[in-house]
Amino acid sequence: MSQSDPVAIFRQEAQDLLEQIEQGLLDLAHRPGDRDLVDAVFRGLHTLKGSGAMFGFDALAAFTHHCEGAFDRVRKGQALASAELVAAVLAAQDHMRALAEGREASIEEGEALLARLHAAVEAGGGAAPAAAPAETTYRIRFSFPADALANGTRPLPLLDELRELGACDVRALTDQVPPLAELAPADCCLGWEVVLTTAHPPSAIEDVFIFVIDDMKLEVEVLEADEPAAERAPAVVIEAAPDAAAQAAPAAAGKAARGGESVRVPAERLDELMDRVGELVIAQSRLTQLAAGSADPQLRNVSEEIERLAAELRDTMMVVRMVPVGQLFNRFRRLIHDLARETGKDIELVTAGETTELDKTVIERLADPLVHMIRNAADHGLETAEQRLAAGKPATGHITLSARQAGAEVLITITDDGRGIDRARVRAKAVEAGLIAADAVLADNDLLQLIFHPGFSTAQTVTNLSGRGVGMDVVKRTIEGLRGALEMTSEPGAGSVVTLRIPLTLAIIDGLLVRVASARYVIPLAAVEECVELSPEQDLRSTGRQLLNLRDQLVPFIRLRELFGAGTQPDPYQKVVVVATGQERVGLAVDQILGDHQTVIKSLSSFHAEVETFSGATILGDGGVAMVLDVPHLVAAGQRQDARLRAAS
Amino acid sequence: MASVLTVDDSPSIRQAIKIALGAAGHEVVEAGDGAEGVAKANSGAFSLIITDLNMPVMDGLTMIRTLRSQPSYAGVPILFLTTESDDGIKAEAKAAGATGWVTKPFQPDQLVRIVSKVLAA
Amino acid sequence: MNRTAEMSDRSSERAMLVLTFDLQGETFALEADLVREVLDVAPETAVPGAAPFVDAVINFRGRVIPLADLRLAFGMGRSESTRDSRIVVIEHELDDEPALIGLRADKVHEVTSVPLSDTEDAPSVGLRWRADFIRCLAKREGEIIVVPDLAQIFATRGGAVGTVVPFAQT
Repeated sequence: MSQSDPVAIFRQEAQDLLEQIEQGLLDLAHRPGDRDLVDAVFRGLHTLKGSGAMFGFDALAAFTHHCEGAFDRVRKGQALASAELVAAVLAAQDHMRALAEGREASIEEGEALLARLHAAVEAGGGAAPAAAPAETTYRIRFSFPADALANGTRPLPLLDELRELGACDVRALTDQVPPLAELAPADCCLGWEVVLTTAHPPSAIEDVFIFVIDDMKLEVEVLEADEPAAERAPAVVIEAAPDAAAQAAPAAAGKAARGGESVRVPAERLDELMDRVGELVIAQSRLTQLAAGSADPQLRNVSEEIERLAAELRDTMMVVRMVPVGQLFNRFRRLIHDLARETGKDIELVTAGETTELDKTVIERLADPLVHMIRNAADHGLETAEQRLAAGKPATGHITLSARQAGAEVLITITDDGRGIDRARVRAKAVEAGLIAADAVLADNDLLQLIFHPGFSTAQTVTNLSGRGVGMDVVKRTIEGLRGALEMTSEPGAGSVVTLRIPLTLAIIDGLLVRVASARYVIPLAAVEECVELSPEQDLRSTGRQLLNLRDQLVPFIRLRELFGAGTQPDPYQKVVVVATGQERVGLAVDQILGDHQTVIKSLSSFHAEVETFSGATILGDGGVAMVLDVPHLVAAGQRQDARLRAAS
Repeated sequence: MASVLTVDDSPSIRQAIKIALGAAGHEVVEAGDGAEGVAKANSGAFSLIITDLNMPVMDGLTMIRTLRSQPSYAGVPILFLTTESDDGIKAEAKAAGATGWVTKPFQPDQLVRIVSKVLAA
Repeated sequence: MNRTAEMSDRSSERAMLVLTFDLQGETFALEADLVREVLDVAPETAVPGAAPFVDAVINFRGRVIPLADLRLAFGMGRSESTRDSRIVVIEHELDDEPALIGLRADKVHEVTSVPLSDTEDAPSVGLRWRADFIRCLAKREGEIIVVPDLAQIFATRGGAVGTVVPFAQT
C-alpha cells in the first residue's frame, strides 16, 4: 500500500484523531464546562465519522456517529458533558480503535458501549430526545426553464436527494414537451411530480433545491394533511431560513497554535535519508584524507567545502529526526487514568520537560520500557490512599515523568513518592533466585541493580498489571540496546527514582580517534573531558595502583593496551583520555591521539554485541575499521579495578 | 484543466479529492483549515474551491464569507462538503456564498462530474 | 528427521549445489546460495574480548561484518595467511536475524553439484570433530567433504570457551 493511498492515510489519520479525541476527553474530565474542548472533541468525532464513511470503514462510521451525536447534543446545550459521558466515550475508544484498524470488534461490546453512552446522555440531558415525528406525505412539483440544462442544472441529483428524505414516487410531467420536430435536444422541457413520505420537516425539501431555487418553479403540497396551510411559496420559506444561527467560528483547538507548515514524512524515508547521510559522511572523510595527501589546492578547497556541507547536513538530519518527548508522555495520561481505576489508588501523573527532543526511533523504543516502569510504580511503588494517609502523606500518589538534556544525552526520570524499595525483600528474593549467596555483602547500589537481573521479580503475586513476564531485565536490555544506561535510587517510605540516560543520536556521533598499539579506536567525544600526557616516569610509578593526579583529584586509569592484550611495547609518551559518565571518571591510556573523527556508528553483529567494551564500530577514511568504545562500561570497569587494587593493598 | 483548491482538515479526504480530480486532469492544491485556505487562495488563482465546513482555526463558512468579500473570489465557484446529518447547513452555506455542495461519502466519479458541471457553468 | 532428509527439503530433489574450500588440508562445503562474495584477504580489525572463533571484523562494502574462523570450531589451529587465503562472505541467520558473516578459508575451490545419494550423516562415534557441528559428509572421488552445520556452530560461538586475550583484572 503506497503512502499516497488515501486509505493508508486514513488509517494514520484515524489514529491521530482518536488520540486527539482521547486527550480532549481527558481534559474535559477536569474541565467539563470548557466549550472549546467540547467543540474539539465533536469535531474529531465528526471528521472520524465522515472520513471513515468515505473509505469504507462503515462499522466505524456507524459507531462514531452515535458518539458524535451525543457530543452534538452537548454542543447544543441539550446535554451535559458529565463525568459519566466522558468515561463512556473514553471506554469506547478501544472499540473505535479496533474498528479503525480493521480488526474484529465484538458487536455485543459495541452495543454495550452504545447503551452506556445513551444512558449517560439521558442522565445528563436537559431536553428529552424528541419523539420520532410522524411522517407526512408531500406532493412536490417542479420544473425548470428551457435553458436550465445548458446552464448546468441537473435534475437527477435533485431527485436523488429527495429520495434520501424518504419513500418517493416520481413521475415525469411531459405536458410541456413539444413534438419531436420542434424539440431542441438541449432544452429542458420535462417537469417532475414527486410524492414523498418523510419524517423530515418541509424545510428539508426546500433545502434540496436551495441552490437552484432562483431559476425554477417549485410547489410543495402536503397531501391529506390536517393543516390546510401548505407551504407553497418556497421563497417565503427561504427568507425565514435559519440565517440567525450565527455560528461563531469554533476557536482554535486550544493551546496548539499552528505555527508554520509541516509535512508528513513516513518514518522509513527518514531512515533511508539517514543511511544516505551516513554513507556521505564516510565518503567525505575518505575525500578529506585523499585531499590532505594531495598537493592540489583546488582539491583541498573542495574537500573542505564538502566537509563543511556534510557536517551541516548531518546536523540538519539530527534535527529532522527529533521529536518532542511530550508526545510520548501524553500517551501515558490515559495509562495513569486506567491504572488509577484498576488499582483503586489515587494517582496523578506529573510531567516536566515535554519539549525535550529525542530521536524518533529512540522514542518509539522507549515506549514499552516506560509503560512497564510506570505500571511498576503504580502497582508496587505507590501505596493505597489509606496507607498513605496513615503514613502522613497526601492521599494522592504522584508519578513524575521528566526529561531534560544533559550534554549529548537526554535524562528521563520516572519518580514515584511511594513506599520505596524494600531492601530486605530484594535481598531475600535475590538469595532465593540464587543470584547472591545468603551472606554476601553488597553495596546498596549493587543490591538495587539486582532488580534488573534476569530471573528476578519482586512481585509477591503476579498481578494483572505488571506481571506479564516483561521484567525489568528486558527493560534494561532495551535501554542498553539504545546505548543508554539505567540507574535507580530509592528511599524507604519516600519513593524511588529510575533514571534513564539515552544518547541523543543513535547513528552519528563526534568521536576522538586514538591508537593503541597498531589498532585504532574511537571514543565518543561527548564523554571526553580532557586529554593529558602520561610521562614514562608516571607510567612506571603507577603500576601499583593506577591513579592519575589530576589537579589534586585522583582519577583511576586503565591501560587500554593491557585491556586489549596488545603485547607490544608502549610508545614513550602515552596520552590519557579522561572520560566521564555522570559523576564518575576514568582515564584511558592510549599510545596516540589521532584527532576528531565524525563517526557513523555501525552496530555490531550478535557475535560482538555481547562484548560490552564496545558499543559499535566505524569505518575510517582509509576503509579500515575502528571499534567504538562504550564509555559507561569502561568507567565501571575502571572503578572496579580501582576498588580491587585498593582492597589488595 | 482547472486549478482547484481543496480545504479539509482530513488528510485522507484531501488525498482522495486530489487523486480523483488529478486523474481528470485538474491541478489540485491542498489546505488543512480555513485560514490556510484563505492564504493559499490568495497566493494562487483557483478556478474552483472545495471545502469542508468543520475545521479548526477557521471553519469553512467563515472562509467562504472571507473569500466572497474579496473581488478576486467573488465569482469563483465554491463547493462545500456535507454529511447527511448536517441539518440546516445548506441554507447557511448558501447565505455565506457557497455555489453548491457534495455529500460525503462520495464516489470519485461523482465528484468529477459535479466539478465538471460547476466549471462549465 | 535425519539431516539428509532435512536437506532434501531445501535443496534440489537430487543434488546440492555447494562451494568447496579447504581448511588445514580438509575439504569443506557450503550451500552455494548462502555465498554472497569471495574476497581476497581484507584488512582485519581485532575485537578484543570476543570469542576466539570470531575474533575480528572486516569492512565489507561499507558494512562492518564479523570474521569467523571455522578452523577453531573443528579443533584446528589457526593458519598462516597465504596467497590462496580467501574470505567467503555468506548470508546466514544469526540469533534469528539475517546477517552477513565472513568465513576464513585457506583455499577456495569451485561450485559443484553433489548428488544427495553421495551424502551420509556423520557417524556418532569415531569422528574427531563435534558431531553436532556437522550437517553431513559427502563423498567425491574418494575424498570426504564436510558440510558444516553453520547454525549450530554460530549458536554455540564455535564451541570455544574463553576470550581472545586475558583481560587485566576487570
